[in-house]
Amino acid sequence: MKATIFDIERNSYVDGPGIRTTVFFKGCNLRCAWCHNPESQSGFSQMLFYKDKCTGCGKCKEKCPNNLESCELCGRCALYCPHDAREICGREYTVDEVMREILKDQSYYETSGGGVTFSGGECMLQIDFLEEILKECKSHGIHTAVDTAGHVPFEYFEKIIPYTDLFLYDVKSLDNEKHKEYTGATNELILANLEMLLKSGKAVWVRIPIIPNVNDTEEEMKKIKSFLCSYGYPPKVELLPYHAMGEHKYAALGKKAHAFSVPGKEKISRLRKLFE
Amino acid sequence: MTERIRMLTELTLRGEMYVKPVKTEFDRADLFLPREQMESKRLCEYILNQEPKLTPHSLMTGFFNFDGSVVGDAFRRGGHKATQEAFKLFYLKPIDNLSTMEWQHATADYTKVLNKGIRGIIYDIEESLTCHNEPEQVEFLLALKRVANALIEWAHKCSERALTLSLTTQNEEYRNNLKKLSEALLRVPENAPETFYEAVLCIYVCFSADPDSVGTLDRYLYPFYKKDIGNGTLTKDEAAEYLQELFLMLQAATPISTDRFTRGGESHFCIGGYLPSGEDGFNELSRLIVESMIELPTYIPQLTLRWTKKTPREVFRFMLDCERKDPHKRIAFQNDEKRIKCYTEICDIPFEKAVSYTTVGCNEPAFLGAITGSNSKINFLRSMETVFHKKSKLIENNASFDDFFDIFKKELFSDLKRAYEYDNFYNKQRAQDINYISSLVFNDCIENAKSLTQGGGNTAIASPTCLGITNVIDSLCVVKQFVFDEKLFTMNELIAALKSDWQGYEDMRTLILKKGKFFGNDDDTSNYVAQKLYRELYDFLKDKTNLYGYHWLIGDLVGYNIHHKWFGEHTKATPDGRFSGDMLKFGIGQSEGRDREGLSALLNSIAKLDPSGIGCGSTVTNITLDEQLIKNDDNFEKTVDLLLTYFQNGGVHFQLTYVSKEDLICAQKTPDDYKHLRVRVSGFSDYFVKLNDAIQDDIIARTTQSR
Repeated sequence: MKATIFDIERNSYVDGPGIRTTVFFKGCNLRCAWCHNPESQSGFSQMLFYKDKCTGCGKCKEKCPNNLESCELCGRCALYCPHDAREICGREYTVDEVMREILKDQSYYETSGGGVTFSGGECMLQIDFLEEILKECKSHGIHTAVDTAGHVPFEYFEKIIPYTDLFLYDVKSLDNEKHKEYTGATNELILANLEMLLKSGKAVWVRIPIIPNVNDTEEEMKKIKSFLCSYGYPPKVELLPYHAMGEHKYAALGKKAHAFSVPGKEKISRLRKLFE
Repeated sequence: MTERIRMLTELTLRGEMYVKPVKTEFDRADLFLPREQMESKRLCEYILNQEPKLTPHSLMTGFFNFDGSVVGDAFRRGGHKATQEAFKLFYLKPIDNLSTMEWQHATADYTKVLNKGIRGIIYDIEESLTCHNEPEQVEFLLALKRVANALIEWAHKCSERALTLSLTTQNEEYRNNLKKLSEALLRVPENAPETFYEAVLCIYVCFSADPDSVGTLDRYLYPFYKKDIGNGTLTKDEAAEYLQELFLMLQAATPISTDRFTRGGESHFCIGGYLPSGEDGFNELSRLIVESMIELPTYIPQLTLRWTKKTPREVFRFMLDCERKDPHKRIAFQNDEKRIKCYTEICDIPFEKAVSYTTVGCNEPAFLGAITGSNSKINFLRSMETVFHKKSKLIENNASFDDFFDIFKKELFSDLKRAYEYDNFYNKQRAQDINYISSLVFNDCIENAKSLTQGGGNTAIASPTCLGITNVIDSLCVVKQFVFDEKLFTMNELIAALKSDWQGYEDMRTLILKKGKFFGNDDDTSNYVAQKLYRELYDFLKDKTNLYGYHWLIGDLVGYNIHHKWFGEHTKATPDGRFSGDMLKFGIGQSEGRDREGLSALLNSIAKLDPSGIGCGSTVTNITLDEQLIKNDDNFEKTVDLLLTYFQNGGVHFQLTYVSKEDLICAQKTPDDYKHLRVRVSGFSDYFVKLNDAIQDDIIARTTQSR
């Protein structure tokens, strides 16, 4: 069994408790306008081309079996580019391959109360692989977290709940119209899943991206809070302010990034207070 | 900080507490005396002709400096003619692009003077005189006795000067301080001290005999501290004040006119670590030592926490917290588990003795009362150059990586053997001098009737430092991965590429840099190669000692000097993608952007590198972190756990720098705006803008880990 994965990041401090290894699955069924990992959206391997790094030396063309006219994702152009202007994003991994990476840092998880986080993209779209590797992690006694946007059938959750210690669950907006406009999907399934997940008593950290002019109001936050309160308050709510660090990747994919402003520190701390 | 200490700090940082040597005339007729008599006679006359540094704020005095006119202390070696001659020829002057002579650090055993006073040391000399009959030994011991007596007399002179100053001091508190000082100097260091104050004063005076490291301060001062606190004659604040005055003296011992004034490596000591009982030694005094030192806005001394498996996480965290709050970056970390294993198992040193080690200078290990037995610098990459550029016929047809490795190994060991012979030679040059004053405060010299640099000490290690170890590991990785495992190019192509300094082989070099499995990424290839190299080094060195019987170990630090640049300038292209003339890497932590898998991967590679501990010589691991991993409180807790796990897994040492690469680059361009930026260099910290360009470039090139 294989999954398409675009990054395995060791020593992550940001995806759950303690020191973690985060596995980024490729492929997502939402198209959030603020997505900072646009390379995670397609479920297939892709070529990223960073124009600003390219000096036009022509090495890529020289090494490409097709003279750059078509691409088989062989990666030779990226391998020989002296300026790192080209990169192949995503490849298939077996469970064993990923486990080998995860196990390298087991001692750090143990000291720090950390573990592994499966993220993406939407890792639950590759649910069979996910279930398999979660089982494998648990057999090694590793703490597991699944970072999801929740736009999948609840049966998927049922499959992995027994092997998942913590869900990191994205909530974008309770305003259905806005949700559809900015993510390409309505929020009904997402909220219904969250409701069931919270009721199940499973540990959930809710993560809210703060996007100016989309959901950065006190009113929106209060709505989310009261939704959460009605199903048992989750142990932790994290607000993740929008940042523009993914912009260059849009360009590298030949896409245009949606322009948002970066929310001010003061605003974020005011909104954070609402959840304290 | 008390007003008194604040005043002394100001004077110290203005360079006004430096004890200026008083020029001394000698009667030329003494040249007719036998050597030991003449040299010790002049030494005594010099000591007694000095003037102690005293201000109305002083509660301590008695340190003095040498001016080179007599045979001085073993550390600065002023007046050590043979050593100076050897330095003229070999210091900062590499021979065969293989080796240079360097400074040797040491730490006196202050427990001797604290337990029995100089009077007790004189009894030891007299006893030793009854066991030795060789004229040279007798003359040496008699000379030591003369110098010991001069030190007692010197303390009495200091006492008199303190009393004189007290008479004209208006402030009652200060007047009483000076009287207290004067009275104490009549008792110590002649006799064993009875109070914490007297004990600190003893160190203050005797530091003149070896102005280097104060060793395991929290250990030998603790009985005095505990007793005085227990019987109510000392408060914690008073203890902190005495310690601060001692630390200020350590700072003032280096003249402000030299660039060493702002470098912590001039004086370095340890706290915590295993006690002879097997318990962890971090105590309440250790904590007070750190807190009182950090409170001073000084550069010298710097200190290291010796971590053990029994060190509570809270202590480790406390030390890291002090480090992150210290603008002068004075704290580093050692792993006792690894070091003690090395000293007991490889060097055959008894546990009780092994646990007395302290790190001195940049990061050289020395046992209390012992010298670091060697400190020459070796170009470790030279052998790789020889194999590819001079003996390439031997490797053209290698059938496997192991065949290649064996040929390289033969070359490396032949280089090392020669470098160790040079090292012994440097020691022989030093041995022509006699260390009359330092031998008093070091172990075994009196009993053996032999001077410190003649091998008078029984227990020491010899750790030359090898520059370019990471270049060697990476070069071996490239050969294994590209030539033998993946067969992306042949050995002949690689040889041709190196002989042409990569010209015409730019693609090959790009491929190596991008796809190379370099050290620090915790992958199977580089871990295998690195561990194999260290295993071979262990097998080669496990039963080898230097001319004094001190066990050879491997270290990797570079001191104040740019040896890695000189060696690099004379070393041709190597398989790790290095161009001819590029400088070598030092230390094992930094990897110029080649460690791509994050900090835990780098730390894993280092921790797994050397299970035997043969690399526990003067070893440094620089870790450059994004400052967010330290300054943000949530991240800080995770970083504490990260570094703790690194030690649990077997890492030997680490010290942190947390500054952005952009800041460093700006600092290089506009140094005036970054005068206060301090960084870790190689076992010492310094102002970035004061470092030479080569070292600045090296620090900028280190990978900054943001995760």
